[in-house]
Amino acid sequence: MISSYGVRPAGEVMAPDMMPGVQSPFPLKGPSETNPAQPAGESFANVLGRMVEEVSARQANANDTVAALQSGQNVSLHQAVIAMEEANLSFQLMIEVRNKLLDSYQELMRMQV
Amino acid sequence: MVQILSGIQSTTAALDAERTRLDVVSENIANAHTTRGPDGKPYQRQVVVFESALQQAIGGGAQSQTPTLKVARIDKDSRPPIMIYEPGHPDADANGMVAMPDINLHEEMADLITASRAFEANLAVVKNSRSMALQTLAIGRH
Repeated sequence: MISSYGVRPAGEVMAPDMMPGVQSPFPLKGPSETNPAQPAGESFANVLGRMVEEVSARQANANDTVAALQSGQNVSLHQAVIAMEEANLSFQLMIEVRNKLLDSYQELMRMQV
Repeated sequence: MVQILSGIQSTTAALDAERTRLDVVSENIANAHTTRGPDGKPYQRQVVVFESALQQAIGGGAQSQTPTLKVARIDKDSRPPIMIYEPGHPDADANGMVAMPDINLHEEMADLITASRAFEANLAVVKNSRSMALQTLAIGRH
């Protein structure tokens, strides 16, 4: 589902001969060129996928904590509330990243050709 | 895992510890007139002892240990019971004296206030941490 965004891996730069005859005065340099010692990083889609998994894990954790509280196990109220709040915040962080991603995609689609 | 609420681990531990202190104080107040415990002796006042501990952060190595606090032990106060003359009491001895736990309600109330204020302070830290995270997330919005 995440890879369907078609995100280019970070560091992949548009090939210069896509626009023949246009010479940039400031040739673009990808991060892989500026720092050749660094290994090729994982794709953004992977990072996003891990983030979604983390959010899901936090929500499962909050669920477990609340269930344990309700069933009278040794869980205090503040632990449950803090777990819920952490799940909420990480979900919002994920939403923000998704919004940014969609914004940039829409911005690109609005580009005049 | 990403730390969403920074410094939350020590705060959670402190909340746990203060909660324990509140429980112990309430136990002391509840048993202020208990003349016979499971061991047949009057109730002994209890005191909570805190100690700092190093808690392993989630998924962290040796560097990501955060100092937190935990309840080291719940000790018994060494004060001897007060002898009160009450000949009609079932637990009175031959002279009509009853051993009552030496619990001063004012002292317990002061302890209760301290514990609940400390709990409140830690809750304020959590609230602040949460609102900081929310405000940070709002950076990207327009």
